[in-house]
Amino acid sequence: MAYGQRNRANVTWSICTILLAGCVQAVPPDLVTAIDAIDHDLIALRAPEAAPEEYAHFVRQWVLLKTRVQSDDDLIRWPWESNDLEDELRRLHDEGGSTVARLNDRQAFQRRTAESKLVRLEERLQLIESQVESINGRIVLGEKPVQFDLLIKQARSFFEQKDYERSIQAAESASHTLLAQTAVLTRELGRYTDDKRITHWQTMAKQTVEWSRVHQSTAIVVSKADRVLTLYKNGRKVLSYPVRLGFNGIREKQFQGDGATPEGRYRVTAKRGQGQTQFYRALALDYPNAQDRRRFELAKKSGRIASAKSIGGQIEIHGVENELMAQTLGCVMLDNPHMEALYERVSPGTPVTIVGALTGQNSVALALAQLEDRKEET
Amino acid sequence: MIQIRQTFAPLALTVLLVTGCAKPPTEQIEAAEKAIKEAQQSGAATYTAEEYAKLEGTLAALKKEVGDQDVKFALFRDYGKAEQLAASAKADGERVKTEAAKKKEEAKAAALQAQQVAQESVKSTLDLVAKAPVGKDRAALEAIKNDVDALKASLNQVQTALDKEDYPAAQTQAKAIHDKSQAVSTEIQNALAKVGKGKPSSSKKK
Repeated sequence: MAYGQRNRANVTWSICTILLAGCVQAVPPDLVTAIDAIDHDLIALRAPEAAPEEYAHFVRQWVLLKTRVQSDDDLIRWPWESNDLEDELRRLHDEGGSTVARLNDRQAFQRRTAESKLVRLEERLQLIESQVESINGRIVLGEKPVQFDLLIKQARSFFEQKDYERSIQAAESASHTLLAQTAVLTRELGRYTDDKRITHWQTMAKQTVEWSRVHQSTAIVVSKADRVLTLYKNGRKVLSYPVRLGFNGIREKQFQGDGATPEGRYRVTAKRGQGQTQFYRALALDYPNAQDRRRFELAKKSGRIASAKSIGGQIEIHGVENELMAQTLGCVMLDNPHMEALYERVSPGTPVTIVGALTGQNSVALALAQLEDRKEET
Repeated sequence: MIQIRQTFAPLALTVLLVTGCAKPPTEQIEAAEKAIKEAQQSGAATYTAEEYAKLEGTLAALKKEVGDQDVKFALFRDYGKAEQLAASAKADGERVKTEAAKKKEEAKAAALQAQQVAQESVKSTLDLVAKAPVGKDRAALEAIKNDVDALKASLNQVQTALDKEDYPAAQTQAKAIHDKSQAVSTEIQNALAKVGKGKPSSSKKK
């Protein structure tokens, strides 16, 4: 009897143990933790901004299910009972996981896009700076180089903050500014690529050389694009020296103080030796000549030049006052030893022809072509 | 006895029905909605985007819960969970509002500070340009003057971004201006150092 009773008790305990062991929690805590982790990943991936609708859907579901998880916390269920809550949590986990994966891909793509845009723009910045510097055309661009530089810096800042979307936006604005810069250069300096204009300049130079030959005399030709002064004697090249121009020398001179070096046919009106000039030695030119005055008056009448502007003057070919200074205000500047050699060979009345360029392959045309070729890259 | 039962039974049923008919927590829901709207107005969608998304999620859950209870038979309606959600949404809405306002102020302060640094930097660059000699020696500085003018004009863009409350844009713009201004200052100082080695010349017509 006692054995039978003990046996029944054991069986009862065994059944209870099996049943209790078979009971499971309403929702596995690991699943809740995993969805929480997905939520954190979505936040780290800026999902509220990058995928607002998807994130809003996720959050709505998550808040709803979390509320149910909390209210079902004390419940246990039999293993064979179906569990809708767990099923929905698993679905949310999968959906959230795929959103994380998609956003990761999107972010990686945006990062690559932003980075490659930035690298290309930074390369373009270097290229345009060096090309513009080489043709002395910085002033032509006005405020644009700074705008371009600031936008690239801003794009880099956003990139470092992992805000790739705004980095791309800033890079695109920089790209537009760059195109505008190239357009300004082409508009302002396009004459250096204009065949008709180049032919005209070549004719002017040839006539000067011919004059030197016919009159058995000296003559000077200055090419602004290549920044070279050539002295001819009896129609033959005697010497050739590099020159520096005004700070805005690459442009056509229009009025006093514009820093441009005039183009045209001039003559040496006076020689100024030591003590007569502050620039070592100087050859004064007859700028403005009659043609310059006509052009100036016409430009004033048409409104291209303000009526208060003056035509300017005292254009010279001169040496260097301060060896460290790189530019003049519109003259043609030579190093002092070159100036001395030129000064000795030239007399008043010597023709001086200043032209934009002597070939289609001039430095300005080449720089513009290079900028134009790589325009599409950004 | 039967008479008493006949009298009290409908009464008891009526009392049960009346007391058993739960009503949705309209006032709490309105309070929660108001708190969320205020959070949104304080910039929560921008400055605490994830918290704000959760608030909207809670509001959606709250509405669903109320809807679920509304369709039940009156005796079985229980708005307890809806009340909890409404209370939670209201409390979170107020917290997020404060937090968003704080973050917005922090972003604004950082942008204003960056703006001030940029302004000072541009001012010192302008002062350097003003120190440059006039006349022929100034030629080297003419191109740089353009850059300084551009920097000065760019400060207006920072102000525009601040006015639009786009503080991240204002801050990055100001930082870029400061960096560029420093670079331009260095360039001017180098130019001035060169000029300083020669004596200034008189202004000439060109």
